[in-house]
Amino acid sequence: MTNAGLLVAVLVVPLLAALLSLVLKPRWLYGVAAIFEAATLGIALTLITLAVQGPALDCFGHWLYLDGLSGVVLLVVAVVSSLASIYSIGYLRHELREGAVRADELRKYFVVLHLFVFTMIAVTVSGNLGMLWTAISATTLASAPLVDFYGSHQSLEAAWKFIVLTVTGSLVALFGFLLLYQSGVGALGNSYDFSIPVLAGAAGHLSPVLAGTAFLLVLVGFGTKAGLAPMHTWLPDAHSQAPSPVCAMLSGAELNCALLGIFRVYTLAAPAAGAAPLRSGLLAFGLLSMAVGVIFLISQRDFKRLLAYSSVEQIGLICVGVGIGTPLALLGALLLIVAHGLTKCLMFFATGNLLLRFRTTAISGVRGVVQAMPWTATLLVGGALAIAGAPPFGVFIAELSIITGALAGHLWVLAAAVAGLLLVGFIAMVAPFHTMTFSRRADSEAVVMGDLNLLILAPALALLAVILVIGVWVPGPLEDLLHSAASVMGR
Amino acid sequence: MDLAAAVFSTLILLVGFWLLVARQIRAAVDGYAIQSILLGCLALALFGATRDPDLLALGILTIAIKGVAIPAVIERQAKTTYGKRELQYHVGFPTALLVGAGLTLIGFVAAARLPYHPALLAEPVFGVAIAVTLLGFFTAMARRDAVLQLAGLLVAENGVILVGLVVASGLGLLIEFALFLDVLVGVAVMGFLIARMHETVSSTDTSELSRLRG
Repeated sequence: MTNAGLLVAVLVVPLLAALLSLVLKPRWLYGVAAIFEAATLGIALTLITLAVQGPALDCFGHWLYLDGLSGVVLLVVAVVSSLASIYSIGYLRHELREGAVRADELRKYFVVLHLFVFTMIAVTVSGNLGMLWTAISATTLASAPLVDFYGSHQSLEAAWKFIVLTVTGSLVALFGFLLLYQSGVGALGNSYDFSIPVLAGAAGHLSPVLAGTAFLLVLVGFGTKAGLAPMHTWLPDAHSQAPSPVCAMLSGAELNCALLGIFRVYTLAAPAAGAAPLRSGLLAFGLLSMAVGVIFLISQRDFKRLLAYSSVEQIGLICVGVGIGTPLALLGALLLIVAHGLTKCLMFFATGNLLLRFRTTAISGVRGVVQAMPWTATLLVGGALAIAGAPPFGVFIAELSIITGALAGHLWVLAAAVAGLLLVGFIAMVAPFHTMTFSRRADSEAVVMGDLNLLILAPALALLAVILVIGVWVPGPLEDLLHSAASVMGR
Repeated sequence: MDLAAAVFSTLILLVGFWLLVARQIRAAVDGYAIQSILLGCLALALFGATRDPDLLALGILTIAIKGVAIPAVIERQAKTTYGKRELQYHVGFPTALLVGAGLTLIGFVAAARLPYHPALLAEPVFGVAIAVTLLGFFTAMARRDAVLQLAGLLVAENGVILVGLVVASGLGLLIEFALFLDVLVGVAVMGFLIARMHETVSSTDTSELSRLRG
């Protein structure tokens, strides 16, 4: 198939899955989810390989476009979405048996899930910047009903906060995109093709003031959606109230879509406006997010909120990595997009298993996982160490690259601050999961013993293997992808 | 042309203030409808001057979707959820007006400082556009009622579309369609959540939603 055909297919397959989930008999829902999302992953991986080997894929008059930078995000989105779809099958079957979910709600879940995947993939393959904005804001609209899936008072509150704040952010970002358009009018004329390659070609001739202002507005606007402090207040609510497989997608994939919007505008605005002021904006929001994330990690009593605040910290670190701007820090930030996405996905799967057995998100309500569910305990300990940044996992390598990159740029204080925050974050992250896993349970607490079935465990085990491999040895194709993305960012 | 632009943009700004102080859902939704129709008329007036078919489509779509369809849907929703009761503010009436005046000032100062190439509309309209966007955001923040928060966001969206008319008039029709679709789906999803809110807490007062902490 041609590049154009593949780019269309990667969009059509999840859309088709949504359509089929709408019309087919309920017993087909699981099969459609597994097959179609696996197919999406296959096509996505092919596309990424093509985009890394040759020049950026650019079809239909720049409407569809994929280069290394969007390839990194597409990789995370496709892997997390397909595994979360498979995990959803086991998770929802269990919920259905326990009576936590009604049979007629399954259809709604899968239809919206596939639409959500479609919007996220659309973010990564949009070549037109107007479409890029539309796709990023559409991810909010597709995921808000999933946040409210359980239909409780709390989930409604989370979904409302989520949608009001991120829509506000999206409108601020739209203002930024319009100014970005105007910044090119001087060089390209009043009516021009508002696409990535066209604007990148004229990037040196954009109006510096307008391009810089545009980046600032997009940073604040999509920063709200990416969970950057101080606009992050919706995130711990939404990422803790949604069903666990959806949480995995919100934290592991959707946040990166918003980051892609920010970084794309960064690459376009930096040549005219100068990289230094744009980077200091990223550093300011990134460091604040890390600090806020770590502070709320310390006092957390709910393990899903713990993971959500860890996302605030990690997204902050990604922005710090790009903000530092040395090649090593940039590569570290790009690797962290992949490593954090996959590891956070693993953690939401593992804690989802806990939720199915213990029926609580309170850290104090879960004890003795190692006796009750040995496989889940393995995932939990491995995942907690990985997300906290222990060697030899992917997140560790990424964090090390960012700190080393800061030292290479002679940013001693910054490197020390980042290392200090990560150290505190490490303890705050590992300690609760250690207690939950290894502390003895009081005998009076009756919990069903035994692990869950293979269908629920397999996606998480696969992720644990992948993040271990990334940590020990970054595979050649991934390294090529990261270098390709870094060359787009450093242009 | 400049006269028409001045009249329509002034009216759009005034309606923005009206929404800031509206006491009833009905008034706020009507205000949004009127503002959208004014925005559509401005686009049509620009079409009259330039004969650009994109502007014709934008004007007709704005009036049909944002001036008629969306307000009708919200009003139907609102009628089933409440009567004509008066609504609560987070901030007082005089404070709201003062902040609104301040935001308008910020809008005009920002418009004067951004170096852009005027194509269709002059700088004062740019100021109005930024001011309306800020007024919309403030309306969404200053209100506790979910329907009014939605109305605030929609007003902000009108403001950003007006920004688009000033600085990005060559953006193209397809993207405008995408924006309309985005607004429509957004209203549908938020309308669904508002209906759920009424079911769950028997009102659309968002201060009832305050259980999630830390």
